[in-house]
Amino acid sequence: MNPFRLHATPGKVTALALSWVLFSAGILSYFYVAGKRHAENPDDRVTPTISQMVSAFQSASLEPFEEEIAEEGATQKSIWSSISSSMLWKDTAATTWRFLISVALLFPAVVLGLHMAMFPYVGAFFLRFFQFFDKIVALSLLPILFIAFGIDELSKVMLIVIGVAPTIVLDTFNLSKSVPREQIVKAFTLGAGDLAVTYRIIFKQIWPHVLNSIRLNLKAVMLFLFAGEMIASADGLAYRIALLRRNMAMDTIVPYVLWVALLLFLVDLALNTINRKMHPWFQEI
Amino acid sequence: MANGQIRVEDAVVDYSAGRGASHRVLNRINLEIGSGEFVSIVGKTGCGKSTLLRLILGEERPTGGRVLVNDQVRAHPDRLCGYVPQKYSLFPDKTVLANVVFGLDVSEFGPLSFFSPQRRRRMREFRATALLYLERTGLTESDAGKYPHQLSGGMQQRVAIAQALIMKPPILLMDEAFSALDPGTRKEMQSLMKDLWRSSGTTVVFVTHNTEEAVCLGSRVIVLSGNSPGEGSRVALDLPVGNLDFGSHPEDIRNLAEQIDRAMLPGLHVESTAAEMSLAYGNAT
Repeated sequence: MNPFRLHATPGKVTALALSWVLFSAGILSYFYVAGKRHAENPDDRVTPTISQMVSAFQSASLEPFEEEIAEEGATQKSIWSSISSSMLWKDTAATTWRFLISVALLFPAVVLGLHMAMFPYVGAFFLRFFQFFDKIVALSLLPILFIAFGIDELSKVMLIVIGVAPTIVLDTFNLSKSVPREQIVKAFTLGAGDLAVTYRIIFKQIWPHVLNSIRLNLKAVMLFLFAGEMIASADGLAYRIALLRRNMAMDTIVPYVLWVALLLFLVDLALNTINRKMHPWFQEI
Repeated sequence: MANGQIRVEDAVVDYSAGRGASHRVLNRINLEIGSGEFVSIVGKTGCGKSTLLRLILGEERPTGGRVLVNDQVRAHPDRLCGYVPQKYSLFPDKTVLANVVFGLDVSEFGPLSFFSPQRRRRMREFRATALLYLERTGLTESDAGKYPHQLSGGMQQRVAIAQALIMKPPILLMDEAFSALDPGTRKEMQSLMKDLWRSSGTTVVFVTHNTEEAVCLGSRVIVLSGNSPGEGSRVALDLPVGNLDFGSHPEDIRNLAEQIDRAMLPGLHVESTAAEMSLAYGNAT
C-alpha cells in the first residue's frame, strides 16, 4: 500500500523506527560535526564530545559544590551525600522550589475563573480586567517587578504568576461556561444550591480539563521562571546555564538543557497519567 | 380546574433578533394543567414548545403575562419540577448510582456537613433507595457502577428518569426526552413512562415534535402553532385523549396523529380545524 495515503497504517515496528529517525539524525549529525571540529582543533569548546559531556555532568552531579570543598575535608562519603551536595542538585532544588510555589499559586486563579463563570456579578467585575491583563507581555513587566519587589524570590514568583495566572483564569472561565446549561438546571431541580452546583457539578466536571490546561501551561511557567533566574538569581538551573555561557562551558550547558527537558517531560507525563487514572470518565475532545 | 397546579396566564415571549428588532415566539398562551395530568405538548420545530417548558421550569421568564405553579410565580428552577432533557441529562463525572443519589444527598447535606459522619450513614440508605429506583426504570445492579458514557442512549434516559423521580417532584418536565432514541427503544421508554406516571401520580409535561408519541403518551394533547412566522404560537388545539383507550388500536393513534398533523399545516385555519377535532374527540371523553 502507498505509505503516503491517508489510510496507510504503519506496523508497530515501522512506527517505532520512524519515531526514532529524527532523534538519531540529530545525535549523529552533532557528533559528526563535533568529531570534525575536534580533529581540526583538539581544544574546541563549542561542540564537546560525549566523553567530555559525561565527565562534566558527573562532576556537576556527583562532586561537592566548589564553594564547600574547603570545609568538607577528605572524609569518604556515600553517593547520596555527594549527590545532595552537588551543583546540579542545588540548582535543581532551587528551581523546583520556585516552580512548585508558582504552580501552587495558580490554584486561586482556577477558583477565581470558576466563580467568574458561575456568578454573573463576579464575572462582570473581573472579566474585562483579566482579558486586558492577559494581553500584557509579562516579560515587559520584569523591570517594574524588580523595582517594586526587589530582586529576590518574590519578584521571580510574581513574574510567573502574572504571566500565567490570567491565562488560567480565562481558561477556567471558558471551560466552566462550556458545561451545558442542562447540567445546571438539572442540579437545581434536584435541590442543589449555588455552591453545590458550582463545586459539585461544574468544578468536578472541568477539573481534569483544568489540570490539562495547567499541564500545557507548564512550559510558560518554566519560560518565565528561567527568564527571572537568568537575570537575577544566585542559584537555579537557568542561573547556572547563563553563568556557564560566560566560560563557553558547552560540556555542562548541553547536559543541563537536556536535564531540564527531561524533568519537564517527566512532570508532564506524571500529571497526564495521574489525571487519567483519577478520572476514568474523562474523555478528551 | 379552577385551581390548576400549573397556570400559564397570557404568557408572551419575545426574543431579541438584533438591531432592536424582536421575534415573538409565544403569543398569549393560556393554559391550566391540573395535578396528575399527563400533558403532551406538540408542535413544529421552533414553535416555542421548549420555551413554554422552560417557563414552567422557571429557567426563563415571560416577556408578558405570568406563569404560576401552586399559585407561586416561577422564579428559578427548583425541586418543584423534575427535569429530563434530551441531552446532557446525566452528570458525566458520576457513576449511574452517584447520579441517582445526588439529589437526595445534595438536598439534605449542605457544603458544611459534607464530611459529617451522619452523611456517611445516610448515604447507605440513599444508595439502597437509588437501586430501587434504578430497578423500577429497568436497570440492573451491574449498571450502577458504570459511567454515563458507557451506557446506550436509552439506558442514559432511564437513569435520568430515575434521577428525577427519586426526588418525588410534584411535576416532571420532559423536553424531547426520547427524541434521540431508535424507534424500538422509544416504544419501550414510552410504555415505561406511562407505567411510572400511573404509579407515581406526578404531573408530567412532555414536549415532543412527534405527534404520534404525543397522542400515545398523553392524557391531554396540546398543539402549539402559529398562523404566520414572527407572530408567535398559540394553543391551536387542546385535546383530552386520556379516556380514549388506544392500547389495542395502534391504528387509531396513527389516525388521530395524522389529523392533528394536518391541522398544523400552514395556510389552513388552525382554529377551525382544531374546533372540529375537539368536537369529534372531546366528546368521546
